[in-house]
Amino acid sequence: MTSDRKIKANRANARASAGPKTAVGRARAAKNALRHALSLPVCSIPALSEQVEVLARKIAGPGANAETQELARRVAEAQIDLRRVRYARHQFLSDTLSKQYYDSLANIRMKEKVLDAILRRNPLDISMETLKFMTSTPQGPDKLATVLSGEAKKLLAMDRYERRALSRRKFAIRAFDEARARTATTAGKCHADLVKACGPAHG
Amino acid sequence: MSSRMVAFMSRKSESKTEIAAVPGQVQRLTVFGPPLLLEGEDAAAYDELLGRICAAVKPVDIIDEMFIADIAALEWEVLRWRRLKWSLMQEAGLKALENFLAGELEYDLYSERVADHLTEIFRDKVPGEGADFVKTLVRECVRNERDAVDKINEMLACINLNIHRIRHCARADKAKELVQEYVRGEREAVTLVNELLTDAGVSMDSFMTKVLGDKIDNIERIDRLAAIAETRRNAALREIDRRRAVLGEALRRSVQKIEDDNFADGELVLQLPPAEGQNAA
Repeated sequence: MTSDRKIKANRANARASAGPKTAVGRARAAKNALRHALSLPVCSIPALSEQVEVLARKIAGPGANAETQELARRVAEAQIDLRRVRYARHQFLSDTLSKQYYDSLANIRMKEKVLDAILRRNPLDISMETLKFMTSTPQGPDKLATVLSGEAKKLLAMDRYERRALSRRKFAIRAFDEARARTATTAGKCHADLVKACGPAHG
Repeated sequence: MSSRMVAFMSRKSESKTEIAAVPGQVQRLTVFGPPLLLEGEDAAAYDELLGRICAAVKPVDIIDEMFIADIAALEWEVLRWRRLKWSLMQEAGLKALENFLAGELEYDLYSERVADHLTEIFRDKVPGEGADFVKTLVRECVRNERDAVDKINEMLACINLNIHRIRHCARADKAKELVQEYVRGEREAVTLVNELLTDAGVSMDSFMTKVLGDKIDNIERIDRLAAIAETRRNAALREIDRRRAVLGEALRRSVQKIEDDNFADGELVLQLPPAEGQNAA
């Protein structure tokens, strides 16, 4: 167990440390906590922010009022976020699948143990089954299943981001539709009033 | 790969004209990003799926198109996970059959392979006249003549091999070949495999049951992924329904309002333009 004196000394040393000094070191340390950057809002990423604006304009359509434009922007934001999350998950799956020697952690540990045992005795005593096990890695559907199992935690985290983005988009679309329906009703009423006002002239 | 899934992936469109009617809409869906396909997946089959969904839903605005892109992506994912589950089960089932056969095959069935293996091993190592001697020795060894087996074993020992290992390899190769022929439905292989299964009192179902037990974690995980994708796909479909109902309702209300206002004053008829051939009042 660490003594109190040691703990105090470690803390004092840590406080005295100024962290990385070079620009490269600082840049690397800045990314220490970065995993997939999916928690960053899309608007804080210039390239995505631009895409949000383009999509929002398409959703709102020409001549939209300020409220509709704002609601359309929310829909676009959620949509771009959703796409970003899906792309990240897809990229992660593709990259992992493209690793030639990918194997499950359990298998790697087992291979290490077997290798250790082999190195302790005459290597020529290896049975065919052992040799096959040691030199093989999952392929085809087995590989994808191994990836899904081995990376379940990461994939689950990404799935949570997707679920949130889907939920945000659903409510943003509902708000947008309600606003549009209100506008349509108002426009219909205005049109009716206009027709009514112009009625006698037609008559 | 499941034959049904393969059929889906390679199936030609039955409603080409319907799909052809919406290429613009499908083209517009590219604003929602390229399809997210894994290695080996067919981009053309994805486009066909997207075209079919587009033709069926007939999007009215960009939000509908957004949902269609979603439905296609999620449906593709559902198919991907189902296909994976099926392939995983089938591959493991056939592997179990192969292992079973490797333990059950009679020597006569793979003795030729033993000869092939031995000939291959000694081909480059014994040149000239010695080659003929080795050929004879291999033939005798394959017939299990004791002296020949001992001599072959001595020769194999120089390259850290022995006849047992060669027989093991030959049996495994034969079992693998037999499984491939069984999958292709070749009559001889099917009969032989069925005979061996019956003699041992097992069936393909018992292998599949064992596989299910061994792979249950993976299968459950894949099922969960498929279920999530299905739930999201159904939610997208419900949202399309809801939007159409809301927009339809709004449209109905505004039309009703116009009609009510006009009928209440009895002025609608007056506002209609006169029919052709009639003079305005």
